[in-house]
Amino acid sequence: MTTPHTTSHTTPHTGPAPTPAFTPTAIPAASHQAGRAPADPPTDLPSDTVLSVRGLRKGFTLHTIDGRTVDALHGVDLDVAPGEHVALAGTSGAGKSTLLRCVYRTYLSGGGSIWFRTAAGDLRDVAALPDAEVADLRGQEIGYVSQFLRPQPRRSVHEIVTSAGTARGMTRAAARTAAEAALHQVAIAEHLWDMHATVLSGGQKQRVNIAAGTIAPPRLLLLDEPVSALDPANRAAVLDLIARLKETGTAVLSVFHDLDAIERLATRVVVLGGGRVLAAGPPSDILRDSNLPLEVAR
Amino acid sequence: MSTAATAPPTTSAPPTWALRTEGLGRIYGDPGPASLVGTGPDFGTEISPATGAVVAAWDVGFEVAPGEALGIIGESGSGKSTVMRCIAGDEQATAGTIALRGVGDGTVNIRDLSPTARRKLRLQQISAVYQDPAAGLNLDVTAGGNIADPLTAIGWRNYGSIRQRAAELLQRVEVPVGRMDDAVRTFSGGMRQRVQIAKALANDPPVLLLDEPTTGLDASVAAGVLDLLRHLLEETGIAAVVVSHDFGVIDLLTRRVLVMQHGRVVESGLTDQLLEDPQHPYSQQLVAAARG
Amino acid sequence: MTTHLTTELAGPPPAPGIFDELSKREIRRAVLSGIAIPGYQVPFGSREMPVARGWGSGGLQVTLSLVSEKSRLKVIDQGEDAGVNAANLRRLVVNHVGCEEETDTREADIIQSRHRIPEQPLRDGQVLVLQVPGAEPLAGIVKEMDEQRRMHAEADYAKMWVRLYEDVVHNGLVTAAAGYPVLVEGRYIMTPSPIPRWDVPKLNGSQAITILSAGREKRIFAVPPHTHVVPLTFEDRPFEVEHTPGAACRLCGSADTYIVQEPARDGQFSTWACSDTDFCRRRRAGDAPATVPHVQPTALQAAQPSEPAPPALVQPAAQPARRDQEETA
Repeated sequence: MTTPHTTSHTTPHTGPAPTPAFTPTAIPAASHQAGRAPADPPTDLPSDTVLSVRGLRKGFTLHTIDGRTVDALHGVDLDVAPGEHVALAGTSGAGKSTLLRCVYRTYLSGGGSIWFRTAAGDLRDVAALPDAEVADLRGQEIGYVSQFLRPQPRRSVHEIVTSAGTARGMTRAAARTAAEAALHQVAIAEHLWDMHATVLSGGQKQRVNIAAGTIAPPRLLLLDEPVSALDPANRAAVLDLIARLKETGTAVLSVFHDLDAIERLATRVVVLGGGRVLAAGPPSDILRDSNLPLEVAR
Repeated sequence: MSTAATAPPTTSAPPTWALRTEGLGRIYGDPGPASLVGTGPDFGTEISPATGAVVAAWDVGFEVAPGEALGIIGESGSGKSTVMRCIAGDEQATAGTIALRGVGDGTVNIRDLSPTARRKLRLQQISAVYQDPAAGLNLDVTAGGNIADPLTAIGWRNYGSIRQRAAELLQRVEVPVGRMDDAVRTFSGGMRQRVQIAKALANDPPVLLLDEPTTGLDASVAAGVLDLLRHLLEETGIAAVVVSHDFGVIDLLTRRVLVMQHGRVVESGLTDQLLEDPQHPYSQQLVAAARG
Repeated sequence: MTTHLTTELAGPPPAPGIFDELSKREIRRAVLSGIAIPGYQVPFGSREMPVARGWGSGGLQVTLSLVSEKSRLKVIDQGEDAGVNAANLRRLVVNHVGCEEETDTREADIIQSRHRIPEQPLRDGQVLVLQVPGAEPLAGIVKEMDEQRRMHAEADYAKMWVRLYEDVVHNGLVTAAAGYPVLVEGRYIMTPSPIPRWDVPKLNGSQAITILSAGREKRIFAVPPHTHVVPLTFEDRPFEVEHTPGAACRLCGSADTYIVQEPARDGQFSTWACSDTDFCRRRRAGDAPATVPHVQPTALQAAQPSEPAPPALVQPAAQPARRDQEETA
């Protein structure tokens, strides 16, 4: 095979120089980038802390509704260690889901830092990191299982779970095997595996989500009401699955709407109210404190 | 080859990105600084009040990594397609830098290359898929013949090998190989778009530009083409830029997105962040409209 | 001094006749450019000739600009020295310049030809002038001349290859009969003028200079001696020349020359004869090489439907040039 015409495509133009154009100065480069200048990493963190949220603030400016502003978080501090399961509690609107989304960068933080320790041991401020680096972290180290069931359209159940594995660096073959194990574990019948996830019931979708989220356990897993749509038997199976994540060293930050799940899974509970941390401690203490605003089913 | 000779000596490793633009601009009319004044989102126009020039795009900068898809969203006239055409070389940018990792390890501003050199980049470095299949295909030529074009352009001279490669590519884009010898004119809109994609992938380019790739197709047909593109983007490790006015397309195909209005980038972010927590008033409007 | 130099440069004083010296010099400059850039089409200011454009006016201008009183000139039409058009052109030049008429290819200095290259291998010092009805090989592929020129300039010939690919898809082979596209010295794609495929290999590495001239399109291009001229084809689709199994010249019996069918009185085509009348005559006289070294005929079955035979194969040897052949060639 000869390729006679491919040798000189990078030769620069040797004729007259192009019309000299001025350099753009009207807008500083990348002024539209969401990331803020990162703060210095905290020096007082235990060396194994996976996630350390410092002074996190979040507000929304609704330009389509008179520029109205809504404040959600007013300076939240929170640490999660490997193998630790921190459950967020509090009434509806306390900022639990907002906090999870800020950590995942689905929401842009308004202030403070979200320090994440990578597998390589570096601390990265997710609140200030460039988009592409956040995207890489999501692919490999930070997982998110949402209560919102929005599976990718026209994709089979098996494919969704398998691709979650390959995205975390598993080989295709290994991911397929792991996907099958995970689907068994969350009790998705085999005849559903090649169906599009969009046609499943809410509970089935939720279990597919959790199977995908845990197939190759990330260093940090964010769970936003992952069992809200499940019947008791399936709920128990999924809770088992989450409980076993401790063994893999995965740090979990979760929102559950029921006390049983928190009591069973959490190593620590952080109670949010009005966008602030109201209390934190072991579930046995926190959940029995009747003075705390907990909107959970007992 | 000539790349080494023209690139400044560098000791740094090749960049991690496959495509990078910085300060990219395209002005129709007087390209002087006076044309910029009074244009952009703050002024609600891309037309210079002083010179009448159209600032179709200005100060557009981004990087796309191999295996990553970046979206550019905005309404008609926002400059998103202009940016794509400037990168593809269909138009000459007025200002800025366009660099490809595959050209001098990213040290060459391909905007400075001659039109001839730019065209040659289209063979193996950058491919484009246009909204209108007629822009990327010769409709009177067979599907196989359209794919043979970029192959023969880089020196394929074996008929059997060309056909084998064309059949592989058609299989990849899910066009029945039995239709390989039919003129593309006899194909449906969705099939034409698949052939255009196959042609774009023929020489395994590291960068793929998609300009409204499913606009104009029936919804069900568009869905099929989108699924195909999603699979290809996931599997190939190609760096893609997806230009669309449709958040559904951007959501499905990309992980990062730029929002353009009146020729400027008003916001950039992770695609889900743009959809869930848009910052700029215009982005919020777009999302609100998309959400119904 | 300046006057003297100008006179020197201008050459002999203008002679009454059909072509002035300055015009001849312009043609020679174009020819030199063409030789310097093999296969590249050089524009020239085609003059009015006493023959209509399309009847060899381009070839005539080149011949007139090269010929001298001492030259021996051969002119053929489809291989035939006695064709009406060939004879007229030859007489025109001879009467104008006073050079010698020649039919023996070996003895000729300049050979002007329409649609054939003689069977006798050309030698160093000879010039073959081919009349070209359509100079642009890309004409049927892209319409815009700017785009044709860009493609030549950038050697961007993918669309030509797509054309060949499509031809093989639809017909099983590259069907181009006359004027088969060739790549000259690895650079320019050129039409060799409407010579049969049989003659195309003769251009490769020829010892003679080949000059191709299109009077109507005002282009001159050339193949210098010892130049690679390769017919475009795919590696796995070898280039083939015309061949009819069992057919041989009725007169000299040769089966290794380009033969054409002759019309009988009843309108049928049943007999074959050499297209190159000079070579045929010498074969019969034992004055020609026993074998022709250029071509080893290979079967071209698919292009060879028995009835009717393709036009390139059935043109009667002595048929005078017709206007429509020129137009459509």
